[in-house]
Amino acid sequence: MPQDQVLAGITEILGGVAGISQADITPETSLADLGIDSLMMVEVVVAAEDRFGLLISDDDWPRFKTVLDATRYIDQAGEWP
Amino acid sequence: MVRIGIVGAGIGGLSLALALRERGLQADVFEQAPELTEIGAAIGLAANAIREFDRLGLAGELTAASTIPTELIYRHWRDGSRIAAHPVRQDDWYARQFGAPWFGVHRADLQKILSAAFGAEHVHLGCRLVNITEQADSVVLEFANGRTHVADLVVGADGVRSVVRRWITGADDMVYSGTSAFRGIVPTENLPSLPDPHAIQFWMGPDAHLLHYAIGGAGEAVNFFAVVETPSIWLHDSSVTEVADEVPVASFRGWHPAVTEMIDAASSPIRWGLFTVRPLLRWYRGRVVILGDAAHGMLPHHGQGANTSVEDAFALAGLLASARGDDLEATFSRYQVLRRARTRKIQRSSQVTSALLHLPDGPAARARDAKVAAVPQDFGWIHEYDVQRALEASGVVSVGHSRNEAR
Repeated sequence: MPQDQVLAGITEILGGVAGISQADITPETSLADLGIDSLMMVEVVVAAEDRFGLLISDDDWPRFKTVLDATRYIDQAGEWP
Repeated sequence: MVRIGIVGAGIGGLSLALALRERGLQADVFEQAPELTEIGAAIGLAANAIREFDRLGLAGELTAASTIPTELIYRHWRDGSRIAAHPVRQDDWYARQFGAPWFGVHRADLQKILSAAFGAEHVHLGCRLVNITEQADSVVLEFANGRTHVADLVVGADGVRSVVRRWITGADDMVYSGTSAFRGIVPTENLPSLPDPHAIQFWMGPDAHLLHYAIGGAGEAVNFFAVVETPSIWLHDSSVTEVADEVPVASFRGWHPAVTEMIDAASSPIRWGLFTVRPLLRWYRGRVVILGDAAHGMLPHHGQGANTSVEDAFALAGLLASARGDDLEATFSRYQVLRRARTRKIQRSSQVTSALLHLPDGPAARARDAKVAAVPQDFGWIHEYDVQRALEASGVVSVGHSRNEAR
């Protein structure tokens, strides 16, 4: 999947969970600035896994700081077998 | 008739056996223990599991053995102040909101009710699974006592240390959480310092918390679960280890007297390592599938380990019953799709909750305290879940008969 599609998908998920317009979310936006706390991040991760058909390691997702961090991770992760 | 073998006669395994029977399918249950004895601890049954047991006609027996908490209360670890409180039994709030009650019940009582409902004929004790062999159209289970059993399909309900899971994934997917717990059951009359003894309460403090709720038909005892952020590495083969007598209470030095009094009164110097199962890619291989802790072992901080096992059991039973003659792989795949995202979300939410319960006094704890005021709204999705509705929504036609209608 091209990275811009991943970015669009992540932006849509974040906008939904944070209750923020997608127009206000850029790749550099920090998740903390969107008001995404740890419990909201669980929602984001599970939604992203379902949408992109992959598993995001519990060792990795707590380190996502920006929209781009999450996008890059998903872009580089393999598809589920 | 399809031959179904269930490995493990815990809450998940017995629930599956009962759910299958309700759908007209017979299973054999294999349990490694020589007799059915649950650990000396309690469990909180939530609406998402109770509505299933209710359909089986078990609500009366469960009610007689259980306590419904008055409220859900969050307290400060040292001064005991009420940070937030939500009604449970008060105004029948929880049952009205989620369609079924919340019960505190001793695990042994629950197991007795489930095993009595299923009967002993198809429960095989002293059968520790040592090997699984897949044949062209069956699976052979081999047990340490020399017995073997041939089944058309096998369900591993054998807990966080699942032998069946290891066969499916080929790996050890169990993870030590870096937290451990002391637990105990204390007669309510031995807890003079405890405010609201019939509430379910979280006492939250630095690097630790204590949860308790009452159990028994009259709330005559209090079950507690006290979690600490040690040891950082678990060095024991077993999930439990003995500690010196003073260790449990010393781990809560400086906490409110109600907390130390409770831990002291239990005097059971056992430390339980808390383990989880990392989210798995696959819950099945060939004719073999897993449910409950075997598939998604989680931290207990939403009180959902057993409740999600019950959900798994009824979901799997519904899918198997509606797929007779179908390709087994397709059925297992549907089961995995139905169950995986929800259980993964609860697993991770429990993990995040662990850290939130253990914040030191300060700005982060104050932000957390503001959030626990909204717990019934934020976590309603866990309790309102209805397996039968989820099955219907996924396109599986519900057999939908209750025990009474089936007669």
